[in-house]
Amino acid sequence: MGIRTTAAIVSARALSSFCKIAGKQGVTMAGKLAMKIDPGILKRLASQVKGEIIVTCGTNGKTTTNNLICSALEAEGRKVVCNHTGSNMLMGVAAAFVLSASPGGRLDADNAVIEIDEASTVRVFPHFKPDVCVLTNLFRDQLDRYGEIDITMDLLRKAFDMAPEMRIVVNGDDSLSTYLAQESGHPLVTYGISEQVPGAQGHAAGGTHEIREGQFCKRCGNRLEYRFYHYSQLGVYHCPSCGFGRPEIDYDACHISLKDGLCFDVAERSPDQGARKKALSIRANYRGFYNIYNILACYAAVRTAGIPTDHFGSMLDAYNPENGRNEQFRIGPAKVLLNLAKNPAGFNQNISSVMEDTSPKDLIIVINDNAQDGRDISWLWDVDFDRLCDGSIRSITVSGLRCQDMRLRLKYVSIHADLIEDVKSAIEQRLKDGCGNLYVLVNYTALYSTHNILKAMEKG
Amino acid sequence: MKITIGHLYPDLLNLYGDRGNIQCMKMRLQWRGYDADVIEYNLGDTIDFAKTDIVLLGGGSDREQMIVCRRLQEIRKDFQAYVENGGVVIAVCGGYQLLGHEYSTPDGDMEGLHLVDLVTKQGSPRLISNIVLENPIFPYPVTGFENHGGRTRLGEGVKSFGKVVCGYGNNGEDGQEGVLYRNVVGTYLHGPLLPKNPHVCDYLLRHALENRGVTGPLEELDDTQEKQANAYIVNRFAKGKKPQGS
Repeated sequence: MGIRTTAAIVSARALSSFCKIAGKQGVTMAGKLAMKIDPGILKRLASQVKGEIIVTCGTNGKTTTNNLICSALEAEGRKVVCNHTGSNMLMGVAAAFVLSASPGGRLDADNAVIEIDEASTVRVFPHFKPDVCVLTNLFRDQLDRYGEIDITMDLLRKAFDMAPEMRIVVNGDDSLSTYLAQESGHPLVTYGISEQVPGAQGHAAGGTHEIREGQFCKRCGNRLEYRFYHYSQLGVYHCPSCGFGRPEIDYDACHISLKDGLCFDVAERSPDQGARKKALSIRANYRGFYNIYNILACYAAVRTAGIPTDHFGSMLDAYNPENGRNEQFRIGPAKVLLNLAKNPAGFNQNISSVMEDTSPKDLIIVINDNAQDGRDISWLWDVDFDRLCDGSIRSITVSGLRCQDMRLRLKYVSIHADLIEDVKSAIEQRLKDGCGNLYVLVNYTALYSTHNILKAMEKG
Repeated sequence: MKITIGHLYPDLLNLYGDRGNIQCMKMRLQWRGYDADVIEYNLGDTIDFAKTDIVLLGGGSDREQMIVCRRLQEIRKDFQAYVENGGVVIAVCGGYQLLGHEYSTPDGDMEGLHLVDLVTKQGSPRLISNIVLENPIFPYPVTGFENHGGRTRLGEGVKSFGKVVCGYGNNGEDGQEGVLYRNVVGTYLHGPLLPKNPHVCDYLLRHALENRGVTGPLEELDDTQEKQANAYIVNRFAKGKKPQGS
């Protein structure tokens, strides 16, 4: 380790501490600084990880899945490098390693658990080759930044080619992810949900037209046939023309109940590809059908890496997300739930979990259009907001830079919304005159600031 | 009185909130007491132009656009007759490009429908921006978002949808955006286009109703929220700017 490495680590740490004091996140900046001083630092630090490196990619569920994997490993007594905050481009990944290293350039870690933005995989993989890659799903997201899904798939394909030994843990219910993983020729492990779950979409009777990607077979171009959908394009599908279809599922969620949190069993296929056997029962006190996928992906990844799962259940019980993903706050007598909703598939799932709570509630929706959000907010029109037309919702307030667009979106499904552009004022107002059960749904750049506002209010 | 909106190939062309354009037309008809019927035509379906008052052709990826284009070639004559008889069309992004003579890319050329005199060439980089237009036929600016690789050029004497105040427009060079031909509006603007531009929505509806023999101005609606959302974009991105070349 040279003086350069030390300089890189010390400067990055100083910058990160300074940003924390200044109330900014600063992780990406710290990574950028370290990589500028010592461009080889990520490669060298990553090579010191003793055990497996697991990475998580996919449009939605990356941060939750990745943080769950990290918690599962820590519950088994392992030291883990992880980019908890969701800074998932090259510089954010570099920062996770740099900020865990000693000034002398030593990294004491059993594993690394890293989420990577799909488009950044081709920039990260030259620095280290993961042992396991989780691919959660592929949905439309920020068309102005990433372009169409086809472009994202091309980038992932290139990245996968760079790590030929890597095992891919893929969501078998997503035809796009499955196709991509199968075509790559990598060893595959699949997870999925084989039973149809009432209330998964939350609008089976609503007759809405959820926008679905990948309706056509990626292999031959014919229309896929579905036995049923869970949500978006996730479901049980096959191509009548070329034989492409949902693969055999290695980790299957069954006996699912969505009442009072999540409750399901995981059935695991034995290594000799025989029948599935019940591996464990899951009971989690957070909502959201999509969290079944996150938990399944986590369990499958940990098992695939050959790491024990003795404390998996107790880890889930103790798991308390503190990054604005389904994060709960208590402010005086009021219960506040903050969640990230940044694309149509994610937003629809968020609406489902809001509606799973049948008690009276107020809702604040914050929409920004900064570069990291995507400057194009047309995706708001692909979200099924008509489902918010429900007696249990006492009020809807729109906030953030593009609150005007959000209000208009609701007007065209005949839902009235109050407009308070400033997020803090909006929260204060609804805490004052609301029913004490407040949901705050925000897109990306509003997440950190809203989290801080709520945290400060909670401390009082 | 019922107005029928034909949404062409939403299973293939559905990027950029096209649903919002449909929803906007539907609601603004219903608020005025007209019935609105939306028919979604998928790739195998036969389109009955005689029953259609407004055609919406949305945007898709290049690959999907190619599939749609092949299908539309089969019904080109019917589509052309519809346009020449004053049928209303709103075509956005990929749908707009298909209206012209051709869309050429380094991977090959796609023959268009020859409904409007324009050609499109793929270029780089993609033109991605918030965009504001002006056209004297509309009482206030048209606002939206554009994201396109194609550079479109209009034929001699063909009218554009508007002059670019901020953003790129058809090709980033001549200061024009979109096309207006008979009752066809072609444009790169999404966002989607119509909710923040109720004047454009009503322009389409008025022509559709006129084709059904309903003349005279449309009943006024309370567009306070629409106008505020429109003005927000104008103030943030186009404040103090004049149309290019004027």
